[in-house]
Amino acid sequence: MSKKFWTTGAIAATVAAGVLLAGAALAQSGVSFKDPVGDDNGPGNYTYPTDGVYKRGSFDLTGFDVKVSGKKVEFDVTFNVTLEDPWRMGTGFSVQQVFIFIKTGDGGFKDSPPGLNLGFAEGNEWNKLVVLSPQAPGRVKTEVEAKVAPGEQSAVIIPTRVKGAGRTISATVDLDQLGAGDPSTWGYQVAIQSNEGFPEGKDLMTRKVNEYEGQHRFGGGTDSDCDPHVMDILAGNGNGTPDEAELQHQWLKYECNPDGTRKSGGAVKMVYKKK
Amino acid sequence: MRFSRGFAIGLLAAAAALASVPAFAVDGQTMVITGEDYTKWLWGTQHTDGSVYNFTTIPNEGYGDNGQGTEIDLYLFSKPNKYVEVQGRLQSRFNQNQWTNYGGFGGRNPAFENNPQPCLGGDCGEFDPRSNEYIKIRGLTARFTPGFKWLDSATIGSTDLGMFDPFTIGKIRYIDRDNAKAILFQGSIFDRKLGYDFIRVSLPRLFAGPNFNTGDYTGQDGAYGLQLKLAPAPIFDVVGVVERVRDLEIDPTDRNFDNGTSVADRFKNDVYGVRFGIHPSSKVDVRGQYYHSSAESDPRFGVPTGFGTSGFSPTPAGKISDPAYKANVDLNDPFGIGLSFNLEYFNIGAQYESILSARRESDVLLTEGHDGAWVFPGPDNSAFGVFPGNPTRIGYGGFEGNAQQVATLSVDNEFTDFDEPMAETVIGWKGITVVPTWTVGKWDLAAELTHIDYNTNWQAWGFPNKAIDNSIYPNFESDAGIGSYRNAYAPFQDKKTDLYVLRGKTVIDAGKGVDLFGKVKYIKETDKRMNDARFLPYKPGDCPGGGVACHNSVNPYNGNGNSTSAIYGNPPVITVNGVTGYQWKPFDSLSDDDKDMNYKMFQVGTGYQLTGDLYTSLTFEYYDVDLKDGDTAFQAYQLHNMASGKSQKNKLILAAKYTLGGAEFGLNYEYNFGTFDPNFGGGFVTQFADDQISKDFGVPVGSPGFRGRFGGWNSLIKRDFTQNRLKAFMKVRF
Repeated sequence: MSKKFWTTGAIAATVAAGVLLAGAALAQSGVSFKDPVGDDNGPGNYTYPTDGVYKRGSFDLTGFDVKVSGKKVEFDVTFNVTLEDPWRMGTGFSVQQVFIFIKTGDGGFKDSPPGLNLGFAEGNEWNKLVVLSPQAPGRVKTEVEAKVAPGEQSAVIIPTRVKGAGRTISATVDLDQLGAGDPSTWGYQVAIQSNEGFPEGKDLMTRKVNEYEGQHRFGGGTDSDCDPHVMDILAGNGNGTPDEAELQHQWLKYECNPDGTRKSGGAVKMVYKKK
Repeated sequence: MRFSRGFAIGLLAAAAALASVPAFAVDGQTMVITGEDYTKWLWGTQHTDGSVYNFTTIPNEGYGDNGQGTEIDLYLFSKPNKYVEVQGRLQSRFNQNQWTNYGGFGGRNPAFENNPQPCLGGDCGEFDPRSNEYIKIRGLTARFTPGFKWLDSATIGSTDLGMFDPFTIGKIRYIDRDNAKAILFQGSIFDRKLGYDFIRVSLPRLFAGPNFNTGDYTGQDGAYGLQLKLAPAPIFDVVGVVERVRDLEIDPTDRNFDNGTSVADRFKNDVYGVRFGIHPSSKVDVRGQYYHSSAESDPRFGVPTGFGTSGFSPTPAGKISDPAYKANVDLNDPFGIGLSFNLEYFNIGAQYESILSARRESDVLLTEGHDGAWVFPGPDNSAFGVFPGNPTRIGYGGFEGNAQQVATLSVDNEFTDFDEPMAETVIGWKGITVVPTWTVGKWDLAAELTHIDYNTNWQAWGFPNKAIDNSIYPNFESDAGIGSYRNAYAPFQDKKTDLYVLRGKTVIDAGKGVDLFGKVKYIKETDKRMNDARFLPYKPGDCPGGGVACHNSVNPYNGNGNSTSAIYGNPPVITVNGVTGYQWKPFDSLSDDDKDMNYKMFQVGTGYQLTGDLYTSLTFEYYDVDLKDGDTAFQAYQLHNMASGKSQKNKLILAAKYTLGGAEFGLNYEYNFGTFDPNFGGGFVTQFADDQISKDFGVPVGSPGFRGRFGGWNSLIKRDFTQNRLKAFMKVRF
């Protein structure tokens, strides 16, 4: 290998370190949550689709950060995999889709938009939902208008720009869109799903969970919609401890009626940062 | 008599697995039919209209930069009961389905022509399926989920093979996603600890064998793949994969027809591989892949035993074997300051062969590789050759963006447009890539350092005891010029490539946020090619100069009397405008074929979300290439256009994407301009273009150049290029 190759590399690294040191001085306020590694199995037994684009860890949430900077709020969702863009979405990621439910105050909505099949426990209803999708915002907006209940649509926020870099999907929204209050005191729930460009029925661009995994379908659930269609969520205090994986499994546990409707379970709670 | 036992076993297994599935009445069954209207509009200043695609190298398929086409794609899905689901796809043919065909009626009928000419641009109307708007079945798949512990699903019919990997059985490109037909079993055993995929896929007769075909007898040709996936712990997983390909023909030695007919292998290809991952923490990820392939072509069935000095085939001739392996280490923000590293070592054997590996739309290496802007327009804007009738195809701008790397000679960039990524072969590549990425405030920065050495660095094709014009390797367009996406081999190679990239992007906090992005790229590539004087074609002093003819005293490089004079013949003496000398420089120095490329590329761009539904971006790219690629003694292996000189290329790209309901619209406009100032060295008598050369090559009468060994013309005039082109599309889902 040529000396020039390594010399150039060393110069590049030095410049990078300088830029890094300068950038490290920037700091923002907010809250951070962690999530256990390896709990990307929904209620405990969900499996990935069999196509090669769904790499191990693609739906394994490991961190969630809310950064407040002036009148902007940035959301960073970190995964246990380096993000890739095999479908050339142009955002730096392809297969993930993230739903950030926020409890900013009293009241709220008890059910998730269609496709996630999530319920929210009493007192944990969501007031705002931020959707991080690799699809163009116009497409997401159209889907929301077509599939989300009219009364909920104004609570759904679609960031103008979503990007994936390294292991993190990020988006920034105006604080005004989220309403008044201190984001560090709000409750959050992050549901990890997969971007589905050809969603079934009324699903909000989410990938199905079936009894058996398919090339582009999750497995381990049911062929009806009584099972929650999420692979990973926050749980407990958002510290990333192993018991939070168990708690996730409990929250997502469900029972179905013979006709395929939900009998019980599938209700999750908000996670708050302990002071 | 031999028969395909694997296929029979597969069918029996399918029957046995499904026999116990209870029959259910169709109760409340629904069939879902959805569709897509895809319409494309091409416009460009080349004013070609052979098809509604910018690029192909396939003879008589047509390519063009002008035209409008529409296709309908119907998806059908039904689940008769919980054990069975069926899906299919019907699609109208697109290639030459131009709006100007006005429904595809009438047209020229080649069947009634004494000298039938190929149908191009839809001129055969209803007499050519490519232009008469016919509907074609593109996929039909039945999937069974019988509920066995050991079998999740059995799939019979179309599949895009996406469950295997790009080194063995690769995913089929998107537009061909339903072309492969297979029987596929997927499931797990040992309490879901060991997963498996087992497939029998029919071999595509169009390309999956020597000379891009599978012979005369094709009905039994197939590939078998088995993939075993073990994940004993969260920190470790391993996958074993076996691929077995058999292209069969009727055995010509079987003279006993009373017991059926025997078959024999025309081409066979076996690959064994293992992939593993070690995931000790969220900070560190280690992955490795190792494959070993072997392949053999049987010349009894008309497959080539060699390719001379040029050839087109997805596999080398004869019996070959080699490994391919790579290792990746990802360090994810190890210092907690947003700085991550991806490292990759790769080594792809010169004879690595998996006939069904991914051909495009996969990327097996971390490096961004070469750029698409310089392939199939050479620097002089020709496709690659030095003979008439070989103008640019994709256009002066080439493809947009950098290449995807695929581990095959069978690279597929056919039927693509300029805005699609180009794929390039990495057969023979070995090296290392380091990619640091870091986030500083609102900036995402990344760099790449790649060093590539080559397993194909050899003299006389790696077989110095054989004749130079008797190679087992197909070398397509020959490895000359700035690049070829599918050429992996050259008679002489001593090449190394260093690649450096710096990328950055950010969002400026103004309005809805202004995207800003840019890139700087530098490639240093040298290739001494012939590096041993014993391979020089003639004895020293064979061509004394001064208008004296060469003596043609051949210089053998082995005991068989083989000499490179077979490809580097001496020039005749000519007189032009009173100047007497050699028609081209005699090949008398090891430096005559040296390559030294300094390649620089700068990109800057901005994007803005004008409304919630409309995103636009504007990108400017500048390419500066200073290339010495041999002189007139080398002649780029005679067939490739010479590329030595200085090239500057500029690309201005305006892109827009608009969404309205379920409809998506896209637009990409390019303005390309640049220059090429050739410099082929000295030692020859300059010739001047006559009227015929002017007509054939589009250069002025009287402009300088020279004719090569095979009569091809390489112009020496400085060239100025401009090109405008546009692609717009609409996708409406319904």
